[in-house]
Amino acid sequence: MLNVQSITKSYGKKQILDGISFSIQEGEIVGLVGENGAGKSTLLQILATLAKPTKGKIFLNDQAYDEHKKNIRKQIGFVPQDIAIWEEFTVEENMAFFEKLSWVNKSKQQLKQLCIDMSLDKWKEPVHTLSGGMKRKLNLAISLIHDPKIILLDEPTVGIDLKSKKEIANHLKTLATEQNKIIIYISHDMDEIISLCNRILCIGDDPFYQNILESSGKHIVTF
Amino acid sequence: MKPIIQTRLIHWKKQWPSLIFWLVLPLIATLFIINMTSIVQEDSKIPIGIVMEENTPMANNLLKSIKASPLIRVYDLSESEAKQLIESHELDSAFVIESGYQQQIKDGNRNRLITGYQSDLSFAYTPVSEMIISYVQQDTGKAKAAHTIMNVAENIDPDTRYSFDEIINKIQEVQSQENLIRTNFSFSNMVENDHKEELTVWNIWGLWAIFSILSTLLLSDWIIKEKYSGILPRFAFIRFSFKSYLIQNVFLYSSILFIFDSLAALGFHYFLNEPVSLKLVGAIIAFRITCSAGAFLLALLFKHIYLFYNVSFTLVLWITITSGAIFPIERLTDRFPWLTYLNPLHPFLNQEFWGLWMIIFIVIIGIWFAKGEKLNA
Repeated sequence: MLNVQSITKSYGKKQILDGISFSIQEGEIVGLVGENGAGKSTLLQILATLAKPTKGKIFLNDQAYDEHKKNIRKQIGFVPQDIAIWEEFTVEENMAFFEKLSWVNKSKQQLKQLCIDMSLDKWKEPVHTLSGGMKRKLNLAISLIHDPKIILLDEPTVGIDLKSKKEIANHLKTLATEQNKIIIYISHDMDEIISLCNRILCIGDDPFYQNILESSGKHIVTF
Repeated sequence: MKPIIQTRLIHWKKQWPSLIFWLVLPLIATLFIINMTSIVQEDSKIPIGIVMEENTPMANNLLKSIKASPLIRVYDLSESEAKQLIESHELDSAFVIESGYQQQIKDGNRNRLITGYQSDLSFAYTPVSEMIISYVQQDTGKAKAAHTIMNVAENIDPDTRYSFDEIINKIQEVQSQENLIRTNFSFSNMVENDHKEELTVWNIWGLWAIFSILSTLLLSDWIIKEKYSGILPRFAFIRFSFKSYLIQNVFLYSSILFIFDSLAALGFHYFLNEPVSLKLVGAIIAFRITCSAGAFLLALLFKHIYLFYNVSFTLVLWITITSGAIFPIERLTDRFPWLTYLNPLHPFLNQEFWGLWMIIFIVIIGIWFAKGEKLNA
């Protein structure tokens, strides 16, 4: 379980997050929505250990973030908004590259299966020849190599075709339901958030998002 | 280290032609330039013809002395061939060692020993003939000395007889074993300097060092490419921090470069008869550490690769001019000795291990590594 307790984040005098608390159970997919600048990405960065909260505590299965950072990081799969892959490598070489540097050893077959699960079948193709959707899938597949418990995704489907969006969403659902992963998902696509997430955290006080989400019947928490 | 090697191999699989090019460039370019210089020097030698009308030890020695001159190329010809080649301007000039040369020297006769031919286009006749005259004068001087010794010996001890040839042979033996004339020109208030032997070593290793710095700098472009490739966020969630990844890769590159440095030492030993010693190996290791560390730190400062290339070429040009590796700077360093310590090639060219720049680079890298990373929240 991921337990976030009274997280505050300030940059100088500007407060970005103010006393945010929530907890997420294993197998849950939680959406993070809010207007630009509301603090979604900052919260995701904090949850990914890439930024420190000004105040507050975070626990993953009773392990405090600030005390077990190295161990926590081994359990996090972070999917950055900008595609973080080697453009000149093939899909296979990208997977092999990050597997060699990861915490776990995976066979070539296991790496290939990770891609197949996401409908990414162009194993030998150089990345620069792939479509945006394929690159996004590879971006996600690389983040899953070390079999993380929490998957943090920052707009992972921005700018890609509907089919690829559906394939990524289906795979995330499978990861949550079959492998009990905790998934936290940022997106501006409300349809995607509503169809994919079990619960939605709405950051900021813009009623626009709250109005849309309330009509969806989803469980919404606002900060 | 194994994962670093494996991941680097994936990169090198894509870049092997340029990798090999930059790795072998210092050795190949140095050998090429040294050989080209030799060929040009050989081509620029003055062609002269020598006609031997007698085959005596003294005439042969004269021919040997003329051939030993580094600035002329000697052809053994007949008189008619020599005249023909001078007419067709294929020879600058020709000299005939006349029949009876040895006997005339022995007899103390200095006239008409050598006959010279030149054409209206001969430009080196005068200096070459002066050089040959000086060799002939050596022979006549030796002959005169031999006669004097024989006369003195006869007057002092009539029972002891030295032959002319014995005395001449002894003179030549002493001449070959001892440096009879050694002259150094220097200002009266300055310490005597003799860099003659070092200069030869400096030229080859100096040239190699310049190319090696260039190749190391240009091979270090991977640091900029990977630092700004967009994969940086992933390093928080893998086994290596980005700094550790960079340092281990620099170590890997340095090891590969050192292998090629060692091959260069062997190549120079094999092709250019350059001596290989433990001191040289130590100097190469220190040079490699300095070079790789400097290139790494420089690459860290850049975001745009073409700016890095421009600065690298400018830096190499500056080192070429100021290091004394190719152009002599003794006058400058004699006046400002502290410049010696700033010269990054000085320890290497003097086959020393410790150098100011190596220590500075290692300390800076240590501080940079100890500072941690922005990703480590």
